[in-house]
Amino acid sequence: MRLGIVRGHVTLTPAVPELLGLTLVVLEPVTMANLRAKNGLAGGKSLVAVDALGAATGQMVAFTEGTEAANPFWPNRAPVDAYCTLIVDSITTGNS
Amino acid sequence: MFLARIDGTVVPAAKHATLEGCRFLVAQRLEADGSTGAEPLVLVDLLGAAFGSTVLVSTDGDIARERFGNTTPARMVVVGIVDPVQGAGRTA
Repeated sequence: MRLGIVRGHVTLTPAVPELLGLTLVVLEPVTMANLRAKNGLAGGKSLVAVDALGAATGQMVAFTEGTEAANPFWPNRAPVDAYCTLIVDSITTGNS
Repeated sequence: MFLARIDGTVVPAAKHATLEGCRFLVAQRLEADGSTGAEPLVLVDLLGAAFGSTVLVSTDGDIARERFGNTTPARMVVVGIVDPVQGAGRTA
């Protein structure tokens, strides 16, 4: 999983049936330099992920990428390749 | 699979229901030339890897599905801790 900061939410009208009712968030992945600096910046190339946890704008999440991101919809299939797996409360790294 | 160095721990405020009780670590991917990846990774740890240790990470979700069920989104799992003797000269 990578870390990302929620920068906004996406609403789709229309969408494929598999995505109806899902919450989509725009994520900006966090770089190591920004995580260490604890400056609230992210710095990566943004992407859209499914969020079932209710992450708010500005919160940091960890998101899964790849086919595993569609596992929560098993046994159904969904055209999802990024999924918010956890919302970060705090992170302790080596220099803190 | 790739090697990564454990850099810290993540305390989740909320997490997917299949991952209740799991330990989450922040790690940096290690390259062959000794450099580290630009973005931190969050790993699911079942082995109890210590801060600063080098671990083997699998990005295949099969072991996660086996442990946590078919609906788990977990993918990057610590599957081994590198013996420091074998890693001599490369471990931080």
